[in-house]
Amino acid sequence: MSNIWYYVFTLVFFLFDYFILAMGLNIQYGETGILNFAYIGFVAVGSYVTGALALPSSVGTGQHYILGLGLPFPVNLILGGLASCGLAVVVALISLRRLRTDYLAMVLISLSLVLYDICNNFVPLFNGADGLYNVPEPFAGVLKLTTNSFIPFFAAVTGVIAALLWWVMSRITRSPQGRTFRAIRDDEVVAAALGKDVFRNQLKSMLIGSFYAGVGGGLIIQFSGSFNPTAWLPGETFVVFAVLIVGGVGNNVGMLVGSLVVETLLIHLPAFLPAIPGHPGLIEYFDSVLIGILLMAMLWFRPQGIVPERVRRALSLGAPANLVAGRGEAPGSAPGRPVPVEIATADAQGEK
Amino acid sequence: MQLFWLSVGFGLVTASVLAISAVGLSLQFGITNYINFAYGDFMALGAFVTYVLNNEVLHWNIWVALVAGSLAIGVLAVILNRLILSPFARRFSKSFYVLIVTFGLSLVLLNIEYSIWGADVRFFQMPIDRALHIGPLLLTKYQLVVMAIAIVLMLGVHAMLKTTRLGKSMRAMSDNTTLAMTSGIDTKRITTITWFLSGTLAGLAGAVLGITEGNLTPASGELFLFVIFAAVIVGGVGSIYGAMAGAVLIGLATEISAAFINPAYKLDTAFVILILTLLVRPAGLFARPGKA
Amino acid sequence: MTTDRTTTPATGPDETRFALSCDGITKAFQGVRAVNGATFDVPEGLVTALIGPNGAGKTTVVNILSGSMTCDSGTEHIGGTDVTNWPSYRIARLGLMRTFQLSRELGGLTVLENLLVAAPDQAGESMVNVFFRPSAVRRQERENVARALDILETYGLFHLRDNRASDLSGGQKKLLEISRAVMASPKVLLLDEPMAGVNPALIERIGGYILDLKAAGVTVLMIEHNLSVVERICDHVIVLAEGQTLATGKLSDLRENEEVVQAYLGEVIDASTHG
Repeated sequence: MSNIWYYVFTLVFFLFDYFILAMGLNIQYGETGILNFAYIGFVAVGSYVTGALALPSSVGTGQHYILGLGLPFPVNLILGGLASCGLAVVVALISLRRLRTDYLAMVLISLSLVLYDICNNFVPLFNGADGLYNVPEPFAGVLKLTTNSFIPFFAAVTGVIAALLWWVMSRITRSPQGRTFRAIRDDEVVAAALGKDVFRNQLKSMLIGSFYAGVGGGLIIQFSGSFNPTAWLPGETFVVFAVLIVGGVGNNVGMLVGSLVVETLLIHLPAFLPAIPGHPGLIEYFDSVLIGILLMAMLWFRPQGIVPERVRRALSLGAPANLVAGRGEAPGSAPGRPVPVEIATADAQGEK
Repeated sequence: MQLFWLSVGFGLVTASVLAISAVGLSLQFGITNYINFAYGDFMALGAFVTYVLNNEVLHWNIWVALVAGSLAIGVLAVILNRLILSPFARRFSKSFYVLIVTFGLSLVLLNIEYSIWGADVRFFQMPIDRALHIGPLLLTKYQLVVMAIAIVLMLGVHAMLKTTRLGKSMRAMSDNTTLAMTSGIDTKRITTITWFLSGTLAGLAGAVLGITEGNLTPASGELFLFVIFAAVIVGGVGSIYGAMAGAVLIGLATEISAAFINPAYKLDTAFVILILTLLVRPAGLFARPGKA
Repeated sequence: MTTDRTTTPATGPDETRFALSCDGITKAFQGVRAVNGATFDVPEGLVTALIGPNGAGKTTVVNILSGSMTCDSGTEHIGGTDVTNWPSYRIARLGLMRTFQLSRELGGLTVLENLLVAAPDQAGESMVNVFFRPSAVRRQERENVARALDILETYGLFHLRDNRASDLSGGQKKLLEISRAVMASPKVLLLDEPMAGVNPALIERIGGYILDLKAAGVTVLMIEHNLSVVERICDHVIVLAEGQTLATGKLSDLRENEEVVQAYLGEVIDASTHG
């Protein structure tokens, strides 16, 4: 297979993977309003756990890591997602109660750095700064895949998983549960006054989003076979937010569009450009400057994103057509039923 | 015991750098009510400007370079606020937007620094000097100067807030912007001055961080930003005196733990203190009403 | 101050039952006592007005009663249940709903969705049901939509059902707040100045809605400045001043209370005539 196809399928993989990651952050921020600035930490936990579960026991591998159970592919991925959920419980208990936005942002971004610091320095956990490598490629043995055929194969697997997770997420966002999330996003105090347990719902949303983060992270280590701390500095969370903002906060389809624009076109495509001789990394630096400027421009000129949040109309919510049709339709006509008002007013005066 | 006093010395130096930077961050937060995630990059820029003036072409005296570098960042902060931050803050009421914008600004500044200076570690050329014994502490001349700068600045900020008209206006605005505006305070002017002070303190803190550590990279400001967050949150966001107290607490704790546990986990010590504080007093030790 | 009583003893001549009562509620902000021992009962099935000069602590009392705020001391009972310092979602589930002085619509949701959020006991709020009992969720959702549309029609918001709530006018937002609370089938309704800042025609309409709710058996406690409105639609009045209950009773009786008139009613009337 020629190099060009290798590049193309790598781009396709990251398109689907960041679609998954963005959906996870979107349920947290876009639907529920939780500003999770530690998101990349959840991705990393999923990635490490998925990788460490797929690897055989660490004895004799030259690496140091926990777990090492040699589990087959989808099992380790699901457990990786659940490990990320475990972190979500801890984070939610510490930070979701009574912290205002700026506090939460600072605490979470610090948490993300501390997780990074621990994984980077504490070698017995996930091999320290070297990270995990030589992670077995899923199905490679069974299907007799070569390194070259594995790339398109796994990009397709990721596509299928992304489609499945998209279906699940649309079910959630369309359900009354999703509506309650959005109510909390718009105004926590009102949601609570309407009988919604805000913390419980935020926790649910954190768990769902963290599972997506963990699975997205697990797919990364399965795709590339390795994962180390340089991949998840706290600033990486910003990239996922960029996907959200460019695509359109609160819209699952927007996540796919955002992933295409930000992750595929702006981040991974320039990485394939040849370096400018004598200036290593310069393209990457310019690229990052460009992403930063694009994001600010996007927020200013089109804050709703490329695909804005949908308005959920009555008919789409399951209102029978006959119920909607034929009632005080014409906009601008005097609304409401006038009768009870007059009766009531008369009552009021009668009591005087 | 010797190790303990040595680490206390380091702790006081870190606390000095932290105090300068935490007060700069807190002043701006008090007035504008959002966190500036590009603050760490302001610091690194201040350090680089100082470094360039001191080392490369001009060979200015380090302290002169320091003042020039700090003021340059103050001016930069005012410009960035006028052009980018303040329009966003005025247009969007949700703090998310302006937070993401400061994040984006941070990405832009960091990568401009990388483009100019590369990722290599640079070293301040400081003459080697003998450490002085002060009581049980052992400190170099530069460390002492940095501590003196911090103390003078803290006293200066205190005097400004308590006695000058500017300081009183700033405190009024920090308590209630709308009320301050209706009582005739020129909030736009105060905001500009605050950004200038915040930027200057950031630049200064970045430069003294570079001087005390001896080296700098474009990322050193961002890494330090998290320690500042810890100091600011422990002290109570928006409280200037809280920021000072938090700086001393976090500075001492990180250096003492570095000496006795493992220097690699300095940051984690700061974070543990931060979490413990939040569990006991969610609004920080010196919380100001309305800011938490 | 904090006498323990499970149900408020009936003090009225005609065995009045109380839907809501509070005893010795205090609340301080930065050392300033906003509420200082407020004690009163809200009779069941009637419309009660909570009046008092600006700064009397009326909104703070409503915030505490609805659980949006905790109190420093004192007790609160709904029916026979001690709900002191319960979180607001639990108080809401007991059947107490509130509206806000400055309308707080769920801006990103449509008008219809604003109502649907308030529907109690939704099966679709459980992830298990969403995925494993979709037909039950759908059936209940359809019922809720039908009911919400009925309420919207009653409150004259039907034609706005698919508009984002943030796009409504001030008066429409007031109506949305009330209809959203009604969607939750409340037993007790706390209205924080439902008629502030709306035009006279709408005041009439809102007054009518409140009396409709009373007729349907809902207990209403409303903060209101406009004494002519209080006179027409409220059966019972509680006067709050400096965080304390100054007097309770019928407005006509209170008018004869020299202390109330001189110290407070005069001011309230002034305030209401100035809008």
